[in-house]
Amino acid sequence: MKLRSALITFILLLCAVFTLFPILMGLLNSLKTEGDMMNDILSIPAKLEFGNYADAYHKIRFMNSLGNTVTVAAVGLFGIIACASLAGYKLSRTPGKLSAFLFGLFVMSMLIPFHSIMISLTIIADRLQVQGSTTGLGLIYIGLGVPFAIFLYHGFVKTIPRELDEAAVIDGCGEVRLFASVIFPLLLPITATVAILNLLWMWNDFLLPLLMITHIDDYTLLLSTNMLFGQYGNNDWSAILASLVLAMLPVILFYLILQKYILNGIAEGAVKG
Amino acid sequence: MTPSRKWKRSVALIAFVFPALLFYAVFTLAPAIGGAWYSLTDWNGLNPTYSMVGFSNYAEAFTQDPSFVKSIWFTLKYVVFIVVLQNVISLTVAVLVESRGRGKAWFRTIFFMPNMISMIIGGFMWMFIFTKVLPTIAAKTGLLFLDQSWIGDPKYSFFSILVLSLWGGVGYMMVIYIAALQNVPQALKEAAAIDGASSFQAFRNVTLPLIYPAITIGLFMTLNSSFKVFEAVFALTGGGPGRATQVIAMNIYEEAFSFSNRFGYASAKAMILFAIVFVITIVQLVVMKRRELEA
Amino acid sequence: MKKALNLGTALLLTTGLLAACGNNSDKVASSATASSSASAPAEKAEPKEVELNVFIGAPRFKDQFDKYFEKFKAKELAEKNIDVTVNLEMPAPEQARDVLKARLASGDAPDVFDLHATQDIPSYYKAGYLTDLSDQTFVGKLYDGVKQTVTLDGKVLAVPMESLSWGYLYNKKMFADNGITPPQTLDEMKAVVEKLKAAGQTPFLLAYQESWVPQLMTALSIGGTVSSEQPDWIAKMNKGEASYNDIASIFDIIDLINANGSAKPFEVGSGQGSTDFANGKAAMWIQGPWMAESILKAQPDFEFGVAPLPVSNNPAGTMINLATSTSLAVSSSSENPEVAKDLVNFILDDKESSALFEELKFNPIATVHNYETFPWIQEATAYVSQGKAYLDLQMPQAVTDEQAKLLQSYYSKDVSKESFIKTMDATWAKAVKAAGQ
Repeated sequence: MKLRSALITFILLLCAVFTLFPILMGLLNSLKTEGDMMNDILSIPAKLEFGNYADAYHKIRFMNSLGNTVTVAAVGLFGIIACASLAGYKLSRTPGKLSAFLFGLFVMSMLIPFHSIMISLTIIADRLQVQGSTTGLGLIYIGLGVPFAIFLYHGFVKTIPRELDEAAVIDGCGEVRLFASVIFPLLLPITATVAILNLLWMWNDFLLPLLMITHIDDYTLLLSTNMLFGQYGNNDWSAILASLVLAMLPVILFYLILQKYILNGIAEGAVKG
Repeated sequence: MTPSRKWKRSVALIAFVFPALLFYAVFTLAPAIGGAWYSLTDWNGLNPTYSMVGFSNYAEAFTQDPSFVKSIWFTLKYVVFIVVLQNVISLTVAVLVESRGRGKAWFRTIFFMPNMISMIIGGFMWMFIFTKVLPTIAAKTGLLFLDQSWIGDPKYSFFSILVLSLWGGVGYMMVIYIAALQNVPQALKEAAAIDGASSFQAFRNVTLPLIYPAITIGLFMTLNSSFKVFEAVFALTGGGPGRATQVIAMNIYEEAFSFSNRFGYASAKAMILFAIVFVITIVQLVVMKRRELEA
Repeated sequence: MKKALNLGTALLLTTGLLAACGNNSDKVASSATASSSASAPAEKAEPKEVELNVFIGAPRFKDQFDKYFEKFKAKELAEKNIDVTVNLEMPAPEQARDVLKARLASGDAPDVFDLHATQDIPSYYKAGYLTDLSDQTFVGKLYDGVKQTVTLDGKVLAVPMESLSWGYLYNKKMFADNGITPPQTLDEMKAVVEKLKAAGQTPFLLAYQESWVPQLMTALSIGGTVSSEQPDWIAKMNKGEASYNDIASIFDIIDLINANGSAKPFEVGSGQGSTDFANGKAAMWIQGPWMAESILKAQPDFEFGVAPLPVSNNPAGTMINLATSTSLAVSSSSENPEVAKDLVNFILDDKESSALFEELKFNPIATVHNYETFPWIQEATAYVSQGKAYLDLQMPQAVTDEQAKLLQSYYSKDVSKESFIKTMDATWAKAVKAAGQ
């Protein structure tokens, strides 16, 4: 029994090493000069070389790119939560054919792969003049993100006793005020899940920004990193690795701080989905 | 209920749903319908005029476009490997992690970490591993099998893409499976153990049926996401060499945005992707639901 | 007709804008005259602020351009009292064209952008994206031969930067050590390959990660074959009357190169390739002298030569390719066309230009360039003066792109010679059809 337990721990440790290996190698080599790296990729840097970071910070225009990414995610997140909570709540509370139809309309789209709509989406975005701006990109994320969010809200609202709304209505609450002051606070747990899932998605999405953002001033972190990679190719790895570490720093910090909520959010989202 | 009350209720419903519906209609529904429409035309994306060509784009995709057909087969191969490997590994890891006492939280944190990182960044880091680190290890240790053209030779690059995808995807499924495992009542497992069942038997006969819904979800999610794979391949091989590792999504992207700008034709390919995903998802859901009921 | 009309309106608009600028910026105009007469104290006037977006898909030259545009800023401020901010955007070469096309199509054009003179000017001109630069001062400085390559319909549409006479690169020391001179026929090339291999050296460097690099093999082999033996092949392809089968002999040299090249070509980009070549990893590289700058960065005293690639046993096909690639154009929708034009004029500035071109390792293209030409250019020019040269072929862009991908697949044996030929024929036909739409 002891032996088996040790074996399991060993296997898990092996998996952990595999998981962390690229991140660690990236981190270690980003702290070496290109010459040192070529000499010995596997060694621990003898002297910490932060020059690569200064260089990468400048080349991916870190603050600017970070700001753009935050703008996109903020617009998208606010829109998705506002739109989907309203719609999900009402759809869940209203019986009838119309309600079922609308709900079906939203849910249906969860089967459509993004790549099937991306071509026409670029045309529509262009016509509506939302192409080429970070705010515009955020707006598009709302349209793509509401179906799943509505689905989550719809399911969650069923668990809230109906008596609550009715009591509030009797109190003379208007519909919208009822929602804002009574219902929405009750939706907070599922709102956290919606927020985490969508934030991760928007933050790490690459293809939509690639299609929509044209100007370097509007580049998100991923676009900037990708551009840097394209410029230096397979050649100047220590600088590239530094930029990769910089680009993933925000999410890793976010993860380490909010880990519990994120893991719960993932499980919730999947079980409800 | 009086008609007027019913009408009022509908108005309230529309008012609440309207903002969501507006964004959804413009950025999801309209492009979906537009894509279906363009797929029947010869539009090149720039010209103001185009003409209807019926289903000839679809015919061309299947009969005169070997690289598209090849990308479908390549994607299918990828999907099969990923759906099986990702679920088996995630479930195994989940069970192992759950069996740990104190280390549990640590392992969970580490295994999920790659999911936080974009596949683009992960892909570039793995490219470093494959092109620089592995050859060095091979040279130092004499493990010469590590010194391959992991990115450049299609024989190996398929494997490299799998490694990257699993690295990035296993943690997500693991979290879902851990959540499911935690919902299995401890009492049941103990009862099985008292009955003299080995832990493998207990897992097969007690735990597995109880987490069946989670497996349905896991299969559904991996199936869905692996058909749409783009970023992992984009970052690691760019679909190359040539088009050896090109997946469907990349073939569509290339057709629409980088080579010919044949929007109509590319839209037809996009509709084919939609049809494949749709059919496979529905079949899978029906089969799994039935088995779940039987179980 | 409609296109012409559009262009007309665009031009009208541009001139309108110019006029408007003139009105709004009396201050600028007066300070400019003031400074040129160097008498009035009006120089103290607040400088006018102008932002210029410049798009050049050649990130390896970032430092040089940054420095050069600093000089432009200083000059513009001193002479015209305009405070220019140059936003220099340098996407990766592989993505640059797509990004630029999207920007142009969506009306978000950079003020100044680079294009490939031979390949891009006709279509960009037709679409009305380019400003006529015929009356600019730089035009008078250009060599006539180079001027032709940026002129269409009698209008000069861009300032050329990179004029190329290229073939393949060879390592002079390795050639000399083995007693080899550049071969003039395919059989001679085979003998060279054997000799190098016998000496334990790799004949060819392969850097196929970026697909434009293997594409150079088709550019040269088709160029040589067509120019020497089937001069009407391009025209016939455009009419659908020819096939890649007619020039299937191009694979002779391609096969030879692929079979005798360095290992793991798909993990070597052009940058890494330059380093490898400079370090003597292989004797020859199918690559143009435009890589000179990065090759010499890796190994400053490295000596390489440029020679024409033999494509058959007919030495007439062994020719140097002449082309103008990187050129800078001014967008027809620029909001600051005057400053943008100042910038392109500054590229051939009497005082500064020579140093820039020398630093970029570009060929001299104008009378202002007085630096000593590089040895490899002299070598290529020697072939050109013997008449062993042809003008780069005009193939549809989609064809070039497809060739690039297929050559990667051909190397990895994913695509056979037969399907290569079939796919190219189909791609060409489709490109012709799309252009005629």
